[in-house]
Amino acid sequence: MKWYEKIGNELFEPSRSVTPGELVFFKLFELFIVVYTIKYGWEWGFYSQLRNSEVVLPLGVANYIDASFFFEHQFALVIAGLLTLGSVLAFFRRGPKWTYLVVMILLHLQYVIRFSQGEIPHSSNLIGMGVFCFAIGALFFPGKNRMPRFVLGTIIFFTGLGYTSAFFAKLIGTGIEWFDGRHLWLWISEKSIDILSRTGEWQPNFIQRIALGSTTMASIILLFGWLTEMIGITMWWKRLRPYSTTLIIGMHLGITLSMNIRFDAFVMQLILIGYPWYKLMDLWVKTTPPWVERTI
Amino acid sequence: MDQSLTTKGMKIIGVVLLIYAALVATHEGEFWPFSIYPMFSQAGNPWTRAIVLDVTDLPDDEIWNPKTLSELPAEPVPVGNYGVDQIDFSNFISKTENWTVNRRNALRSMFGRENIGARRWMASKAQGKLVDEDSVVVVIQPFLMITADSVYMNPQLNESDYFSGE
Repeated sequence: MKWYEKIGNELFEPSRSVTPGELVFFKLFELFIVVYTIKYGWEWGFYSQLRNSEVVLPLGVANYIDASFFFEHQFALVIAGLLTLGSVLAFFRRGPKWTYLVVMILLHLQYVIRFSQGEIPHSSNLIGMGVFCFAIGALFFPGKNRMPRFVLGTIIFFTGLGYTSAFFAKLIGTGIEWFDGRHLWLWISEKSIDILSRTGEWQPNFIQRIALGSTTMASIILLFGWLTEMIGITMWWKRLRPYSTTLIIGMHLGITLSMNIRFDAFVMQLILIGYPWYKLMDLWVKTTPPWVERTI
Repeated sequence: MDQSLTTKGMKIIGVVLLIYAALVATHEGEFWPFSIYPMFSQAGNPWTRAIVLDVTDLPDDEIWNPKTLSELPAEPVPVGNYGVDQIDFSNFISKTENWTVNRRNALRSMFGRENIGARRWMASKAQGKLVDEDSVVVVIQPFLMITADSVYMNPQLNESDYFSGE
């Protein structure tokens, strides 16, 4: 067996039988992705319609088309409507196999329309990767025997890879001194301005006071986060996955407390993909519900 | 289930990985949802954000002077209360290189003329950096004054602060 097939076996677990609990969990996970897709579609659509007037930073496909075209005539809301329709059809498997691919393209378009103002947020990336994996799963592995394993395994692959690549981006961008606690001071002060500007007031919380009071403590906080990112790809191994996921969720809580940056969808998705929930579902679900059979 | 899921699945992941790498390599690390997650990769650099101060009640000869964060001369305007995304606003201020009439009007419409009313709002750059190796200083630089009818540039700054010339 080749090395990449060993990794594939950890991700897709082909020797394990498909169970009713696994299928129900997969459909609930898909619902989570679809709900967030629709939520983002409308939030980004309304914001673009109401607030965007000039493109400050073209992202993705906006490098090739003029995103400002969609700021007018309710086009961003039309895209949100199409996204909703496409997501619902794809969820219920009504329509061609490439419906999720269309949803993916529309969601990418909506993202580059909304975030043409200079900000490059990453909080929605994992949802985007989820839709992307559903798109290729529906195309290449339709059906209850293969699609759930492929979709979840591929999401886990790219999630782990993303964290480890973030570790190397820091190592290359700054060097081994990246975890110098004074860097955290700079980021805390930067975020304090954001919060002051958004709400009119800011007070450091307990963790921020600790970090600002000691270079050593600030360095330890950064080092914990950085090492956790480094081991991101250990999520690929099923036995290590719950432990790596727990560490990564802890890192996100640390980022929220120290820098006031929330990754709600990210953390929820990590909770869903990082633990073997199907085992819990199998305790309750003994036969696959008909609606799941029909829509998987 | 058979081994073909693994073999075919990993081949597809390999192809996606190549596309992923090609897209992020040619688009500065970002092609949503593909990303190398470069945020916070360059540590220790000075930063620039933005904040709005309500300078309505300040004398005219004081409104354009830079101050440190600890000596703020006026109350911050909570931009979130006006439906403005703070990060968008901050990037709009810090990343705009040519403050054309259109760009200045876009800033005003971001807040909404009706919200500004008779107030004078100062969009200011907040610039932070490490000093003396052990502390961070934040300077608030008044940049553009927004009223319901117009947007004024800081007369104490040079034209090159507003126009890159490109």
